[in-house]
Amino acid sequence: MAKLSMKKISMKYEKKLILEDLDLEVKHGELLVLLGESGCGKTTLLKIVAGIIQPDKGKIYVDDIEISNLSPQVRQIGYVPQAQVLFPHMKVTQNIAFGLEARKLTKETIEEKINWIVDLVEISDLLDRYPRELSGGQKQRVALARAMAIEPHILLLDEPLSSIDAIGREALALTIRRIQKETSTTTLYVTHNGDEARLISDRVAVIYDGKIQQVGKVLDVEQHPRNYLISKILGSPNIWPILYTKKKEKTKLFTSICDIPIQGEISSKITGIKIPPSIISISKDRIEDPNLVALECYVKTVIEKSEDEYRLILDLKDNPSEYIKVDCSKSDYEENINQNKEITIYFNPSEVILL
Amino acid sequence: MFSTTLKRRAKVDSILNRSIIILVILAFGSFLILFFYAPLSKIFQFAFSDVNYYNAPLNAQYFSQSIISLIFFSDGNQLTFSFIIETITDPLNISFLLFTSSQAILSMLICLILGIPAGYFFAKYKFRGKKLLLNLMTIPFVLPAIVVLLGFIVTYGESGWVNSIWTGLTGIDSPIIEIFGTFEGILIAHVFYNLSVIIRMSIPAWKSVDTEQIDVAKSLGASNWLILRKIIFPQIVNYIVSAALLVFIYTFNSFAIVLYLGEIKFQTLEVRIYKLMKASLDFNGGATLALIQLILNTIIIILYLFFESRTRQMAEGKESIFTSEKISFSKNNWKKNIIMSLFILFILILMIFTFSPIVAIVLESFQPYADGISHFWGYQQLFSNEYMPLLGNSPLRLLLNTLLFASLTTVLTLILSVLLVFVLRNRYQSLKKYKVSFSENFVSYIIILPMATSSITLAIGMFLMFNNSVIYLEYVWVFIVLTHVLICIPFASRSILSAYNRIDVEMLNVASTLGASRFRIFTKIELPFIYRGIIVGGIFAFAISLGEFAATNFLVRGEYGTLSIGISKLIETQTLQLPATMASILVIITVICFLVIQKFGDIELKV
Repeated sequence: MAKLSMKKISMKYEKKLILEDLDLEVKHGELLVLLGESGCGKTTLLKIVAGIIQPDKGKIYVDDIEISNLSPQVRQIGYVPQAQVLFPHMKVTQNIAFGLEARKLTKETIEEKINWIVDLVEISDLLDRYPRELSGGQKQRVALARAMAIEPHILLLDEPLSSIDAIGREALALTIRRIQKETSTTTLYVTHNGDEARLISDRVAVIYDGKIQQVGKVLDVEQHPRNYLISKILGSPNIWPILYTKKKEKTKLFTSICDIPIQGEISSKITGIKIPPSIISISKDRIEDPNLVALECYVKTVIEKSEDEYRLILDLKDNPSEYIKVDCSKSDYEENINQNKEITIYFNPSEVILL
Repeated sequence: MFSTTLKRRAKVDSILNRSIIILVILAFGSFLILFFYAPLSKIFQFAFSDVNYYNAPLNAQYFSQSIISLIFFSDGNQLTFSFIIETITDPLNISFLLFTSSQAILSMLICLILGIPAGYFFAKYKFRGKKLLLNLMTIPFVLPAIVVLLGFIVTYGESGWVNSIWTGLTGIDSPIIEIFGTFEGILIAHVFYNLSVIIRMSIPAWKSVDTEQIDVAKSLGASNWLILRKIIFPQIVNYIVSAALLVFIYTFNSFAIVLYLGEIKFQTLEVRIYKLMKASLDFNGGATLALIQLILNTIIIILYLFFESRTRQMAEGKESIFTSEKISFSKNNWKKNIIMSLFILFILILMIFTFSPIVAIVLESFQPYADGISHFWGYQQLFSNEYMPLLGNSPLRLLLNTLLFASLTTVLTLILSVLLVFVLRNRYQSLKKYKVSFSENFVSYIIILPMATSSITLAIGMFLMFNNSVIYLEYVWVFIVLTHVLICIPFASRSILSAYNRIDVEMLNVASTLGASRFRIFTKIELPFIYRGIIVGGIFAFAISLGEFAATNFLVRGEYGTLSIGISKLIETQTLQLPATMASILVIITVICFLVIQKFGDIELKV
């Protein structure tokens, strides 16, 4: 168990600053998900921590010991790249043993450690296979075992679920979480998918513009995102950027979906709105109440969310390029909705979350 | 917290890695300076100053002077442009330059016309023995030039097979093909030599074509012509251009074929330079022409490297979705059947064209040159000293010389090529900072010039630089081997490099995060990936050295001849049985080399 700190990391690539004075700390035994869009420098940061790339500026500490000048061999950091890259000419056992053999351990110790990790990662039936004989999920498990076998201070995972089919994803994510918990390995997990953060993270750090923009527990970040972009990166439903604000008489926010009247003053830092699906109601009839915001829609898709709840995806009548997600009970659905007819949705603007 | 042994080892690693790089650059650099750049400067000296001696004492001062003279002309000789002006205004030189270029362009075009469809056939269809056939069709490319020449004489010569069959069939006495002193003779030989380059290099081109794009274009209603022009052509053009440039380089620098078939009428610059230096002893004129040829070659090589790198960029990150299909005839599509039959016929004709000169040589070696002579006379002669006065040595000794030179060349070439690749692809240097390291850039530039230098020019440089030294006078074979090494390095390093490029850098990164030392990464990961490349490169170097003619012929003295030299001397005696025997031995060794290559991987024809 160790603590990982990155301090003021800057990195330029072809004259473009991809990381700028980035600070981040991963606590003892924690799994921190680094969340950001593709090309935002997440992988570069992982490689910097692993010692594969030298940053232009900044320092890396493990438990307050500076490791910036140590070579990757010495850092004892487990690194699982996105494409796993198992050694194709070695069997699974040899792959796992590679790091142990490099440490010149005795044969018995190596065998012991292999047995331990193989049981932990549940790959005992794959040991005699070559990488080409493995599925995507199996490869990922072997790569994980190989990195964990050296009992790393820190584990780095780069989009571990990206090459796995939808069915295997959740299972693998939970396996990773279990292994990480059981071994209390401090882990930095990189992804662009907010759902993965929701599924397994202790904390999430959202990165864009070369900096960490917000760090916290997923629920906190989701409920109190610092701005619109963070919500977008997290993949929250029903969010829209604010196009412009009108401040005469009554304040009004203009977005591409509707105008939201606001009570009182608002901060100029507001960048977007979020209309949680749960605050939206549906109706067959027109809504005339001036205190509510009402929108005419058509049903586009219906997804079963749970035994008694549907999630509807609705097209806006006035603006067919926009859609909105609404949760409704099955009984409400039966009562109010006719697939081909337009329906009205409404919500109280004071319940809209400002981002 | 961090293991001190690991730390110490990492430090040793980094120092070791750095010192290896410095050592490699020093070793490789001094090899090139001593045996390439300094000799080249000597050529410059002869082209730009009025030295007409070549007997300067060979010592350290001489070396430094020849390098300095390259820049400053400070060794007392006057800088003069008169040779340059004389050379480029000489009408004979101009006509030879025109001939050199026009035959190169025509050979290239014919190779393209025949080779691209053949490449398509090999890319598109799978059948038993495809790889073997493809490798056999590549044999002409590494066949010694002099063997090709002999094969041509036996097959297409005045009393060769083709003309005998023609006379037998028609009763007409005048031959249908004349290869001596004709333009078409040289063209046919060059096409024979280089066709496999186009075939082999157009296979990846055809395989890189995204068939899904074609399907999409068809669904959008595009005509076949439009698809060819807008979808297929842009995808294969870089491959084709780089293959074409390669053939241009080879034919532009053709020597043995033109030396014999061209008679006096047709001379490539390479032949012209040789004749100026060897027959007319016009060192200034020869050196000047060599320089002009070098400049032209450099331009083409740079163009080639440009297009070649674009093919690599195009291939990067592209998964091959091209699937080959079996050759099939359908019951109700007669149009397709006719096309298919014509295609197979076309490939068969190419095969006959490719194999007949080779087979002819072997058969000729058993053909008694006069009545009462045994079928095995040629092979018996290998062990006799009868031809010693002409050959300078017994045929067996020539064979041993050939094998010895080839083995030495192989070892030296491999050592230098592996070192070269080590610097060119040193992850420690180049990947830490996302940019190309200085050493990589430096090395990739200093290697271009040797690639662009013709065999004759390399030999001339060696001759002008070292002809006064004891080693040259007593052991000229040292310089023959060194010149062979210079000729082979681009091929061998290419083959190793292309194997190395298949290594995923991330794999090396992961290995180092797992704590593996530099040495361990090399032995456990890099080596398993490149050893095939090393074997292929080595055999290729062996095969090239085995049959090298131009440079060897220029440098050779006394008893140090090779089989190629022996054959060239015997061709003039008109008795073809003994030279055909010697050529058969070279053919057999070359074929064995190719079968071994086939076992270990693929042949890189590119330089």
